[in-house]
Amino acid sequence: MATQHSRAAARLMISPAVILLLGWMLIPLGMTIYFSFLRYNLLMPGTEAWAGFENYSYFLTDPAFFAAIWNTLFLVGGVLLITVVGGILLALLLDQPFWGQGIVRLLVIAPFFVMPTVSALVWKNMFMNPVNGLFAFLADAIGMQPVDFFAEIPLLSIILIVAWGWLPFATLILLTAMQSLDGEQLEASEMDGAGAVSRFFHIVLPHLARAITVVILIQTIFLLSIFAEILVTTNGGPGTATTNLTFLVYAESLLRFDVGTGSAGGVVAVILANIVAIFLMRMIGKNLDA
Amino acid sequence: MGRITLDKITKSFGDVQVIPPLDLTIEDGEFVVFVGPSGCGKSTLLRLIAGLEDVSSGEIRIDGKNATETPPAKRGLAMVFQSYALYPHMSVRKNIAFPLRMAGMDQKEQDRRIDNAAKVLNLSDYLDRRPGQLSGGQRQRVAIGRAIVREPAAFLFDEPLSNLDAALRVGMRLEISELHNRLETTMIYVTHDQVEAMTMADKIVVLRAGLIEQVGSPLDLYKHPRNLFVAGFIGSPTMNLIAGEPARAYDATTIGVRPEHMALSTESGKWTGKVGVAEHLGSDTFLHIHETGLAETITVRADGEVTLRHGDTVHLTPVEDKIHRFDGEGMRIS
Repeated sequence: MATQHSRAAARLMISPAVILLLGWMLIPLGMTIYFSFLRYNLLMPGTEAWAGFENYSYFLTDPAFFAAIWNTLFLVGGVLLITVVGGILLALLLDQPFWGQGIVRLLVIAPFFVMPTVSALVWKNMFMNPVNGLFAFLADAIGMQPVDFFAEIPLLSIILIVAWGWLPFATLILLTAMQSLDGEQLEASEMDGAGAVSRFFHIVLPHLARAITVVILIQTIFLLSIFAEILVTTNGGPGTATTNLTFLVYAESLLRFDVGTGSAGGVVAVILANIVAIFLMRMIGKNLDA
Repeated sequence: MGRITLDKITKSFGDVQVIPPLDLTIEDGEFVVFVGPSGCGKSTLLRLIAGLEDVSSGEIRIDGKNATETPPAKRGLAMVFQSYALYPHMSVRKNIAFPLRMAGMDQKEQDRRIDNAAKVLNLSDYLDRRPGQLSGGQRQRVAIGRAIVREPAAFLFDEPLSNLDAALRVGMRLEISELHNRLETTMIYVTHDQVEAMTMADKIVVLRAGLIEQVGSPLDLYKHPRNLFVAGFIGSPTMNLIAGEPARAYDATTIGVRPEHMALSTESGKWTGKVGVAEHLGSDTFLHIHETGLAETITVRADGEVTLRHGDTVHLTPVEDKIHRFDGEGMRIS
């Protein structure tokens, strides 16, 4: 009975939840925007003053800002490329019937449960360390010069670490999508004369399109804010080689104690994330309907 | 050309043999229907012919050539699946073109064949639609179109009508029969519906548990069922099977009388019973007679004008020379 009264009552009942959620989002956002217009340095408490767009111009003209933008894009793009391609290949492999399938699937999912700081530390100290690391040992074993990962290819190293953590996610979603493919479609294409490769490109890949879209959308949201892996491995360095936007905001506000500029960076990051989101939705959102 | 010979083929899944050694010859241009209850191995048999399953032993010959090890695409057979198995991301045209594209045929010839098939199947207006935008019957036709353009040696149909509603099924049944008459290509058709088998087939193969129970023309099977299973399976409503004392009077363990071979009378007859449900179809009336002492229910076909009511006492007399007699093993006594 959706009368006027009961509808009003319903609104009243859900209003606490709505107000809480709205406040949860709007108050920090409002404070960030407010701080971004102040000269606000933690080393000089009590001297806050209106600064207009000074923080923004300072942040946007900082050479580290452009480096951070590129690093963010490379990081997101690189991880997406590795996880989507790797995820499809792994899903293809795991979709085959073989002995011990259950255990192997469980093991494949495992990296997703390792928290980012731990996985980054393990990679840093056990694999990529140029003296004691496994990769250095392997390089030594075949007589090659060990690679000092975080000095020579810092961003690529971080991409590898993050991709390792997200590969299971992509694999899992793509595997379930692959399993939902109608077996008769594959048989029909087999009878139609399609070999394994054309079956993959003409039948399996189009079927996966939607799942790939979901993987890209979800991962992009999380990858834009990668932070822990950078903090525990390179600290944004060498120089600004691995500083992404998130890390730059952190560096401004908590390493240089400049809350005003940090907030301005935060607002810029929110705007950029929205631009990326709009582009993504435009580009691949059409895959989701139909 | 499409003469298919199965020579002592068997199929086992692990330890379970679903097809015991089986021989069958399908002549060129024949419309053969595999019919049987679900789980009788008819679909497996079709998939063996298609090459989607490997035979465990025996030999499949297509036009005299051994095709046992030939991959499905090279056998020159086209299959229409129960779920149609259309490619949802391709337009109807692309769906139909797919086998031709895979064969690397040139564009002109592709277009010619597609337009031809579309005309035959009334699909010309839908070529640019996606399968998701089509009705069940149209999807079915697209699936058939995809099979036709390959100009195969034989068509394989795996229960193609079971996803359609009753009215559409009757229509498609006619269309497929029509298509067979026009193309004169071998067709193998799998169904569990004996009405489809009776109406479409040149030759029916009745299967049970992987074994061929009988092979023959529809009327041959109807008039001379080789055993009790075929007798009970072919014909609708089913044959009345009567065991015990009344059968012994005919020197048989079981006798079978079709509903239309049972004469109905209100005055006198061989057997007596009470009318149960009467199904009025207009042209005919099927009466279910109870308390005859012969079987739970005896079905009788009467003409459409019959005025008997529930609970009336009636007398039944079988048409003597239309009685089917079966021995203790369930085999026909001729």
